[in-house]
Amino acid sequence: MNVLKASRTRTCVLLLVTNCCLLFARTPSQGSPRVNQDSLIIKDFENRVADYVKLHKKVQAEAPAPKRTDSAAKIKEAQVTAAPKIRTARPEAKQGDIFTPEISRLFRRLIATPLKGPDGPQIRASLRHAEPVDGIHLRVNAPYPEGVPLQSTPPSLLLNLPPLPPELEYRIVGRALVLRDVGANVIVDFIPGAIPSA
Amino acid sequence: MHHRIFFALIASWLLLLSGVQTSGPLQASAAGTTPTQTSQATSPVSSTGGSNSKQTAQGKLDLKLPLEAKSVRFAVIGDSGTGNNEQYEVARQMEAYRERVGFDFVIMLGDNIYGGDRPKDFARKFELPYKPLLDAGVKFYASLGNHDNPNQRLYSPFNMGGKRYYSFKKGNVTFFVLDSTYMNSEQLSWLEKELQTSNSVWKICYFHHPLYSDGKFHGPDLDLRKLLTPLFEKYGVNVVFNGHEHVYERIKPENGIYYFVLGNSGELRSHNLRRSQQMQAGFDSDRDFMLVEITGDKLYFQTISRTGQTIDSDVLQRQAKTVNAGKIRDEFSKDITAEEHLILWPAEAMP
Repeated sequence: MNVLKASRTRTCVLLLVTNCCLLFARTPSQGSPRVNQDSLIIKDFENRVADYVKLHKKVQAEAPAPKRTDSAAKIKEAQVTAAPKIRTARPEAKQGDIFTPEISRLFRRLIATPLKGPDGPQIRASLRHAEPVDGIHLRVNAPYPEGVPLQSTPPSLLLNLPPLPPELEYRIVGRALVLRDVGANVIVDFIPGAIPSA
Repeated sequence: MHHRIFFALIASWLLLLSGVQTSGPLQASAAGTTPTQTSQATSPVSSTGGSNSKQTAQGKLDLKLPLEAKSVRFAVIGDSGTGNNEQYEVARQMEAYRERVGFDFVIMLGDNIYGGDRPKDFARKFELPYKPLLDAGVKFYASLGNHDNPNQRLYSPFNMGGKRYYSFKKGNVTFFVLDSTYMNSEQLSWLEKELQTSNSVWKICYFHHPLYSDGKFHGPDLDLRKLLTPLFEKYGVNVVFNGHEHVYERIKPENGIYYFVLGNSGELRSHNLRRSQQMQAGFDSDRDFMLVEITGDKLYFQTISRTGQTIDSDVLQRQAKTVNAGKIRDEFSKDITAEEHLILWPAEAMP
């Protein structure tokens, strides 16, 4: 009887341990859909960026920018020629085409994470010291205003965002994150209020 | 009692009046002085002068570089591209010194073209002011500032090779030119690889945003500092030049690295410096540029104002502890004496 009791106890303990093991083993797999979801969203962003770069390259092929030149006029000409062609090639482009609501949500989270961390005050100080640009009415397909400085993007934020091909860059305007076509100086898309207020 | 207070006040005023010319770099002003006046003025910052000084009569150049054979000589300008008269006046001083010093390149610390990038901007803010230098074959190596369109990288006279960040070598010096407006992971990886594989005796980095600064308007970029200084220290960077803050600053060496801020070759933010423990020298009352001569393990520099006044000069020893190659350290450190170190960093020069 005692043996049976002991055996039952052992079984109960074994079952308990097994359940615990199963429970802990399940924990990572419960987290992975979240990770996979983020990866899918980033993949979606990369695809949208790749589509834009394809369009950019097509436009550039029609009016190639000089590789290097003594003539500032030629550099400017390449920029002002490319910009309207890009606008023509995507006439219906609007805010959210690349930064979809889902992608915007992820980006906001990616930006907020370092800002909430121990280096947050330093990053905010860098933002303040980089001659913040504000008061620009952002419009997709519009040129980034001539003569307005390009606010530096704090490296800790940049390192937390998906990398971009050289044709594009992230810029901060006020609290918005702007996706800018470097060669054509065109605002490709933006996320309003991407930088959380302090 | 009232008499005592009155006399004490008078005495303190007299003391203040007698000390105003030598009370420190931040109070000295070269603005409005003519070259004749400046040759007689009290130097506003610590300056070695001494045996290398070639200061002569009125109108002559006050040269503090040794002009040794086979040395690397260059000029430094920052935040220059305003197109204003003051930029042209600095450019004229640069040409006058070039004829004597024979520097053959200029490094640009960003904000090369303010207010737009139309062809006329390039003409008025770069090609015309520096025409005598360009005609003499002087090369300009630009870095990008926040007021610069990154398309400037395509402009041949800026010698950027079509890239936002790049490196070039002159004699035993390699220059690493960074784009601090956009320090992404790609650029950081590139920098680490370049620094790691460089076997130059001197490694000089320059870019727009300062890692250390006592400027009131911007101050240091702490986020950038956190990422860059470990690389600089690990791979033996010796000197860092920055702009952005429209003043001149020489920072006390930080972990063996000399930091300079020179963002007033065109722009100026007058009286914008607040003195702190980290400042070795500062100048915030006029525009300026810098001359640098590197020979062996010594870097001579002279900072010259728009009016031709030498506002700072010194000779800096390449700091052995920043060198990652022991072989190079041994080769270039053996002739340094303790006495030289005392001359280079006199205690009284420390704020």
